[in-house]
Amino acid sequence: MTGPHLSLILLPTLRCNADCDYCFEVKTNDSLTLDRLALLVEKVLDYLEEDGIQNLTIYWQGGEVMMLPPEWYEQAHEVIQELAVAKDKQIDHALQTNLIGYTKKWNRILEQMFGNNLGSSLDYPNLHRRLPGSTPQEFTAIWRRNLQVAQEAGIDIGVISIPNPETFKVGAEGFYAYFVDDLGITDFQINTPFPGGPLNDAKKTYPLETDQLTQFLLDLADIWLKSGYGNGVKVGPFDELIKYFIEGNARLPCIWRDNCVNEFVCVDPKGNVAQCDCWVASYPDFHFGNIFSSSSFTELLKNSKARQYLQSRPRSLIQQEDCLACDYLALCHGGCPIRAYSTTGSLLTKDPYCSTYKSLFAHMEKHAAKLAQGRRPINREEGGQV
Amino acid sequence: MDPYIYNIPAALANAYQGKRVIVRSHDPYELAAILAETNPENLYYLQLLSLEADIGPLLMEGAFAPLDLVMSSPASDYPQLYDLAPLNAKYPVRVTMPVMPGFTKAVRLACSLNFAVKLAVTQPDPDLLQEMSEVLAYYLHHSTVSQPIEFFHSLLMAFVEEAPLNLWTIQEEDPALFRYIADQGEETIFPRLAAAGVEQKLPFFLETFIMKLLVEEGECSTCKFINTCYGYFKWPRKDYACEGVKALLKTVKKAAHDLRQDIAAYHKPSGEDRP
Repeated sequence: MTGPHLSLILLPTLRCNADCDYCFEVKTNDSLTLDRLALLVEKVLDYLEEDGIQNLTIYWQGGEVMMLPPEWYEQAHEVIQELAVAKDKQIDHALQTNLIGYTKKWNRILEQMFGNNLGSSLDYPNLHRRLPGSTPQEFTAIWRRNLQVAQEAGIDIGVISIPNPETFKVGAEGFYAYFVDDLGITDFQINTPFPGGPLNDAKKTYPLETDQLTQFLLDLADIWLKSGYGNGVKVGPFDELIKYFIEGNARLPCIWRDNCVNEFVCVDPKGNVAQCDCWVASYPDFHFGNIFSSSSFTELLKNSKARQYLQSRPRSLIQQEDCLACDYLALCHGGCPIRAYSTTGSLLTKDPYCSTYKSLFAHMEKHAAKLAQGRRPINREEGGQV
Repeated sequence: MDPYIYNIPAALANAYQGKRVIVRSHDPYELAAILAETNPENLYYLQLLSLEADIGPLLMEGAFAPLDLVMSSPASDYPQLYDLAPLNAKYPVRVTMPVMPGFTKAVRLACSLNFAVKLAVTQPDPDLLQEMSEVLAYYLHHSTVSQPIEFFHSLLMAFVEEAPLNLWTIQEEDPALFRYIADQGEETIFPRLAAAGVEQKLPFFLETFIMKLLVEEGECSTCKFINTCYGYFKWPRKDYACEGVKALLKTVKKAAHDLRQDIAAYHKPSGEDRP
């Protein structure tokens, strides 16, 4: 038993220094003040206490988090720590940034608050990430330069990458080599794109063609298993799937939890509360309420009709879709609500990448069985090592 | 030390302090209060009898004990299990459900939510045996099932370890080990055995029952699973034909044999044949 845990996706600002084609957030100039942050954290801690939750992880996302200066985070960290100690709660922090605004000035807070870790994103080839009025190539060049500076400072960087049709042309081998050999990234994760937020030309191509996507993922998994598995390279979600099939448990991504509503919640700088960043930034009809105008975060969550509706999704899917008969229900539970809603207009449909997930699960299951067969207990008399 | 585990209503918890108990209630508040007041070592299970109740009080409680969620209509109530999933972060959870048409849906969802399962079975008809057989295959061979499905799991382990264990014990119904305390407080036998008329000889119920079956030279007298089953499926009707049940037990035994072989091969020094 790990005990109940809450993941708070906190958007301290909706300002952004990039202008990516597929961004699902409606950007504004809003940012959180330290006073409001203290009030927000206090309310969240009250909720933890009232619901018997001991641990909180704050996922700092934007907008772009580095639009606020490092000094702001230093003060924020102090404020939060003080409140956490007073309530006897454990709070961990994770940062997701596009790295464009990164300089060495960030290193101190990255070490103090984020344990020298950060998450970033880059696609290969990069078609959609860009600075305003600029090209993807320029974005990539700045990103790579800043990546190198951060790596030289000893910061561990995990990268999220979203495939596109050009990725499929490059192929899994070229893709893997780009991240691992060229960039020196040993921890990256593949996410699938979806047409969240206002529609544009880039989003009209989503969801991606699933046959191509599936083949790419299976190929990439094979390359990782051959070259990266056991050699210090983590590629999500393959690594956790292998762990799941060998050990029976794993930390699967949020899209595959039994009900993301039970574990995640998102707050934007204005205090709007919703399920995750896309919901809070682009779908006001799905807001749960406002943390600043509600007297209690517990009551806000408990009474929100939008939250209850989201919470009912897995229950509905197993009755209306084919999820209950699926061999991999335990791994997916119908997938991601925002991917379903932004693609079909209905929350009560399964994830549009269902067939890709199923193929991937079957593939990893098969590989895990082979890997498990290859394992054997250590015989100390034979000189085995622990 | 009192050898029995008592299944008691929550209202009588004070009267059974110091004894090992299964505490049952329809009310999560009541169970949470029991949890706060009882030595967790004495709590064999907390048994929640209403799945539509607000589980908030159980999530807030600081202590924990194994939790048994009792379903009455698994074929229709199975979607409710999603509402109970948060309990998993705090308790070892088991879902007990009657073997009735459509129960497989609840088994599949319970397993997918990482809940253990206990099948409350009496004398299944051929259709139910077919469902049980599918659930057994699901338990034995499905890679996403990581929690026990009882009675299959304990039986499999007993076969693997060649340990003496019978279905009455696995199903928590052996009167020599488990006692049921009715809501009014009288100590009695488990509801399934209500017509047994053995209240005065509870500790010897099984021995008496199995002796009768053997003396009558019925199906049990030649059954190779007699020491495992102990006539479990001959109650309440002695004329129940066990063919289908025996096929299930045979499958479990075969799986145990295969598992033993796999384990032995796994531990062979390198250089020898491995699977």
